[in-house]
Amino acid sequence: MSWFSESANSRDGARIAAMLVAVLALGCLIVVAADTHSASAQTPFGAGRSVPATGFLGWIIAKQAIFYRAFSGTIRAAKTDGSALWTLMGIAFAYGVFHAAGPGHGKAVISSYLLANDETWRRGVVLSFASALLQSLTAVLIVGIAAALLGATAKVMGDAARTIEIISYGLIILVGARLLWAKGLGFIRSVRELRGQRRAHAGDASNHGAADHGHVAEAHDHEHADHHHHDHDHEDAHHHDHDHAHDREPNALPWGHAHGPEPQELGGPGGWKRGLSAIVAVGLRPCSGAIILLVFALSQGLFWAGAISTFVMGLGTGITVAAIAIVAVGARAFLNRFASDEVSYGSVLVRAMEVGAAGLILAFGALLLTGYMASERLTAF
Amino acid sequence: MIGNRRSIQFDSRVRRLGFGVACCLLLVTSPALAHPHVWVTIKEELIYAPDGALVGVRHAWTFDDMFSAYATQGVSARTKGRFTREELQPIAQLNVESLKEDGYYTYTWIDGQKQNVVFGDPTDYWFDYNPDTSELTLHMTLPLKAPLMAKQLVVEVYDPVFFVDFGLAGDSPVTLVTAPRQCSASTTRPGGSPAFVPGFNQLFTTSEANIGMGMRFASKISVQCP
Repeated sequence: MSWFSESANSRDGARIAAMLVAVLALGCLIVVAADTHSASAQTPFGAGRSVPATGFLGWIIAKQAIFYRAFSGTIRAAKTDGSALWTLMGIAFAYGVFHAAGPGHGKAVISSYLLANDETWRRGVVLSFASALLQSLTAVLIVGIAAALLGATAKVMGDAARTIEIISYGLIILVGARLLWAKGLGFIRSVRELRGQRRAHAGDASNHGAADHGHVAEAHDHEHADHHHHDHDHEDAHHHDHDHAHDREPNALPWGHAHGPEPQELGGPGGWKRGLSAIVAVGLRPCSGAIILLVFALSQGLFWAGAISTFVMGLGTGITVAAIAIVAVGARAFLNRFASDEVSYGSVLVRAMEVGAAGLILAFGALLLTGYMASERLTAF
Repeated sequence: MIGNRRSIQFDSRVRRLGFGVACCLLLVTSPALAHPHVWVTIKEELIYAPDGALVGVRHAWTFDDMFSAYATQGVSARTKGRFTREELQPIAQLNVESLKEDGYYTYTWIDGQKQNVVFGDPTDYWFDYNPDTSELTLHMTLPLKAPLMAKQLVVEVYDPVFFVDFGLAGDSPVTLVTAPRQCSASTTRPGGSPAFVPGFNQLFTTSEANIGMGMRFASKISVQCP
């Protein structure tokens, strides 16, 4: 390859470093996915017996349990003392805030989703609250219909919750697969762009005319390969026109933003529809704590109080998940600076990260579905 | 020249990118931690044969009132709020079958060696309902597949995923039934007590409700025989 020998050693070094980072990042994602599995799976004796109980996380677990245990006494008190209802709401809210740290509240899926898609923080917040409140609604509907109206047993409710859970995990897999497909194409495209650009560089150095020919031929290929990226390919062609100028004045030209998110991927009316699939996938699955709470409230003749508590709890959960979502959106915005930079390695890497995040969603869904990643169970016992 | 400049810019970019990726990883992987939704207060009887071998473990597990309400949901009782053993037998069967998948949450070590597949299916099991506390108690006898002779026996009861929090009962959690005279039992609590429910003013100050917040949350019973 002529361009290979042409490029300075330092550039090769940078290229290798970039690839290394990409490989490491993907490696980490895989390790992390595997680790999440082993941390919460039902491991045989030994591995699963200790929980990280110290420090901040231990404190969160302890707080959740404390608030949860306070529910029963408060609901009992509310039967005779109306003011206990306010206490109940307070506990439900605080419990929700802490409880979102537990599994099954979509933190991982939502933040991966926001990393993969370039969403606004506002959309991230809405996504978090909507999925948290949907989760409350599912719990209220299951207990309201099955237990309060039909007098069903715990087994029936557990089975219903389990079925919904499986649907939810299936949807997470679909969302992940769809994203992986879209982001995978984006990644391949950005790699091709990078290659094309390099080839053009090589042409500049050796034989101008020959490079032009090769380049035109490639642009042609692109057009045939994927029609709906037509516009993009035109822009791609433009890049190469500007290459000379750009070598002299690295940051002067705005051509780089062709490497940023595609217009159809950015916010806009379609984005909400896309977000809806994530909301449903994550929010469909009811929280076991809410179901137990609701049944208990029902047994005390205070189902409505339980239902309100469940929604207040969802509000609290939404706050925590939204905070995490905002961090995810911020991290993504930070990474975007590389995507819109003049050398395309950054953009290739951001694409790779998107692919990784999409793959992670798929992995989460698959692990949850196959039961390797334990979420909170609500079988008979 | 140009190549050099780019490479310097690029290196710092790679570093920043690495930082960004690291942030994202931390974010996505904030560990999913379960916390208990079911609290069980346990009393255990270890049953010995005349020759001094352990032949069975008799569990009496009392569930917290919230889970008891959940478990008894939809169970019809002749007298409202009072469930008889017969009325509860279907859910007892259901729960015991479900417990089998989890190895009855009972783990055994003999002279420091972990024992697998020690227990056969329970010979008898039933639920008792205490209307005063609205709590269910599961009685279940697990026979050993083969009698066990051990100098040092350790029985632990815990849920590896910590959805269920098992805690030893406050008074006499362990009884040795027809054990050799020289045998003695001792218990290790993970700390706290499952019966403890904080009042509202304790909510923000207590750290006790979740037992086992130390590294180990298993309730451990040790029996030493000469």
